Amino acid sequence: MSSSLRMAGLFGQAARVISVPEFSQSHRILPFLRSTSRSQCRAYSQAQRPRSTQNIKSALELRNNFSTSASYARAKTMGQLKQRNSTGPFSWKAALLFVLTGAGMMIYFRVEKARLERKRIAEMSKGVGKPKVGGPFTLKDLDGKEFTAEDLKGKYSFVYFGFTHCPDICPDELDKMAEIIDKVKEATKDDKVFLPVFITCDPARDSPEVLREYLKEFHPGIVGLTGTYEQVKNVCKQYRVYFSTPRDVKPGEDYLVDHSIYFYLMDPDNDFVECIGRQDTPESASRVILEHINDWKREGKPLKLE
Amino acid sequence: MGWLPWSSGGEPNKASDGGRIAPDRTSRKRCWEGRDIFFACLDRNDILDGIKDDKEARRKCAKEVEEFEAACSATWVKYFKEKRVMEYNRDQTIARIKKEDAATVQELKSQGRSTSN
Repeated sequence: MSSSLRMAGLFGQAARVISVPEFSQSHRILPFLRSTSRSQCRAYSQAQRPRSTQNIKSALELRNNFSTSASYARAKTMGQLKQRNSTGPFSWKAALLFVLTGAGMMIYFRVEKARLERKRIAEMSKGVGKPKVGGPFTLKDLDGKEFTAEDLKGKYSFVYFGFTHCPDICPDELDKMAEIIDKVKEATKDDKVFLPVFITCDPARDSPEVLREYLKEFHPGIVGLTGTYEQVKNVCKQYRVYFSTPRDVKPGEDYLVDHSIYFYLMDPDNDFVECIGRQDTPESASRVILEHINDWKREGKPLKLE
Repeated sequence: MGWLPWSSGGEPNKASDGGRIAPDRTSRKRCWEGRDIFFACLDRNDILDGIKDDKEARRKCAKEVEEFEAACSATWVKYFKEKRVMEYNRDQTIARIKKEDAATVQELKSQGRSTSN
């Protein structure tokens, strides 16, 4: 009786520690915790130290609340009970071990659960059929060299669409992009796994020279891409970006371009994994990106680090 | 900062490879400052729409509007004026929805109370 009571007490405490609301798996891994009923859990968790006579007494009362007289009869032997308890197999060390193991498992399963969830999301855009966002394209980089979707493979690319005459949103977002680049670079020790890309939606005005000057002000690591009107229209279509650039622009004509305000994170297979939007801070965005990069590395999948 | 493609009214700044140079960080900042000063003036005079109430705005904030238009290109000026109206309407809508939600919650609560009694 005494040891089972203490065990129940310990489980009660452990259950209290482990049953953090969002962690549903604890119930699955430790089903025996369920053997102590809900009311007992509550009773023992209120009793912070089950060793104290007062708490055991009240616990006993609760335990035997079916018959009121029996609890008083048993309470007489509390002294003996206490003595036997102190020499029983369940010491504070055992309790500590139990709680630590529980906490360790909890942390492990939580991390695993988060990882699998990310993997599931990343896998969703793979598999059968064409990926929903992204696809083949041909553009040219700022040195005039051809740049295709193949050049994005082997790295985590971070694609943004914009134009240099953008009034306020693009500059804000590009400042954010610069912060994200620095954070990711720092965390990955600059192993070239991360490739930030800026694709202009306004090829008529954004020549390589203009683009280079513009991007230099934000971050030297951003790869600027431009192309012909048709090429840009195609890449916008591939990335499901609304394209409203006028086709025939008069020299000197001033206009604005509608464009997507999202960053697209693409994995080394060039499949879409995540959207980073206006609501994301540089901190939250770089955390999401690093999680994906680390998952990929942990699984030992191929990367192009050059 | 030797150039301002729109203030001169002449040829916009051309890059040597045919592109058109966009405002850089400094001129963007100056444009945004001009905008903020102009909008603060509109706020003081209870004017929301700088396009619809253009005459009124020009009369009451003559200096501010002049500086704003000098610091930003015409499309940006139009964009910012439209954005101001759009954001005002958006905030009004959000406030209205919140109020309606609160009223609905209140109503449901009072219904719950009357049924439980």
